[in-house]
Amino acid sequence: MAEDLVLDTAIRDWVLIPLSVVMVLIGILRYFVSKLMRSSQVPDPKIVKEGQVIVRARNLRAGANFIPPKSFRSRRVYFSNEENGLLFVPKGQAQNAQAQMFSDPNMAMDMMKKNLSMIIPQTLTFAWVNFFFSGFVAAKIPFPLTQRFRSMLQNGIDLSTVDVSYVSSRSWYFLNLFGLRGLFSLILGEENAMDDTQRMMQMSGFGFDPAKSLSAEKDGLDIIQHEWALPKFEHRAEEVLKKLIR
Amino acid sequence: MAGHGDSSSSQKKSSEVMNDVPTFSAENLQNNMKVIYYSRTFMSIIGGVIAGILGFTGFMGFIFYFLVMAVTSIGLIAKSKFSVHSYFDSWNRIILDGFMGGLMSFVLFWTFAYDIVHIF
Repeated sequence: MAEDLVLDTAIRDWVLIPLSVVMVLIGILRYFVSKLMRSSQVPDPKIVKEGQVIVRARNLRAGANFIPPKSFRSRRVYFSNEENGLLFVPKGQAQNAQAQMFSDPNMAMDMMKKNLSMIIPQTLTFAWVNFFFSGFVAAKIPFPLTQRFRSMLQNGIDLSTVDVSYVSSRSWYFLNLFGLRGLFSLILGEENAMDDTQRMMQMSGFGFDPAKSLSAEKDGLDIIQHEWALPKFEHRAEEVLKKLIR
Repeated sequence: MAGHGDSSSSQKKSSEVMNDVPTFSAENLQNNMKVIYYSRTFMSIIGGVIAGILGFTGFMGFIFYFLVMAVTSIGLIAKSKFSVHSYFDSWNRIILDGFMGGLMSFVLFWTFAYDIVHIF
């Protein structure tokens, strides 16, 4: 029953291509707008300091085996000492950091702006697509789908005998939404793609970050067993030199 | 591979010194991940257009996608001169990474090309 519908050429010209072009352009526009809006943000010195402490602790963990045991231990005590170690954050102060993060007007405004700039173009475009491009078959998907997808994909089309592969323009919009992410990451360079789910996760986890990551680092540092690699270096150097001689 | 316009950013060695405890330069590792991602995305877009023009439908199209991904993997392995462990930290990266994202781009461009050519 797969009759091949012949669709009007005008649909190609006036629906598929303009929709794709509009979505690409909106993506580029959103990238530039977010770049403009982000330029005025003074980093908080305390947060930067804590971030650097975390980086130092991480480096210590990574290079632990290359320094003598005593110096590793003294460094570790410096970090995780109960009284004035850098990584030790008393409980009261941890809560304070989170509250401060959310009541700080700049930070809240920033988060809201980023959320809005993500949601508004999508909503507007979706409404536009629904208003203008509904009620006709827009494209044919090259692979077959089951009948359950019919209500999702063929939204404006009221015939029930049409093959599920013929879809309305709403599903073309969603297809574009997901498929153009890859294209954006190629054009706009380096992960400026529209990773909306990723960014939403980042938004929700941002406020409480410093305190938790400090204690996580401290735990990681406490766990590590020092195994000094120096005695083995001589052995390794001997092997490398032997290989070179041969 | 140069003919396909493979993103010519080079891959950098991420583990210079093969100790008993292998060390990785995180920055180089990340750069290599990016290279894989770009290559995959680009190849899946091109593969989608080709599949649409040739008129693949249904399963044939997906098999073609796997074929394109395999070719990309082989190309990446060849470019790293078959010593995968000095550029990446595990086999899974070079084979499986970026699969799903590439799939969506592939389907988009496949549908696009198929419609333009066959139901024009």
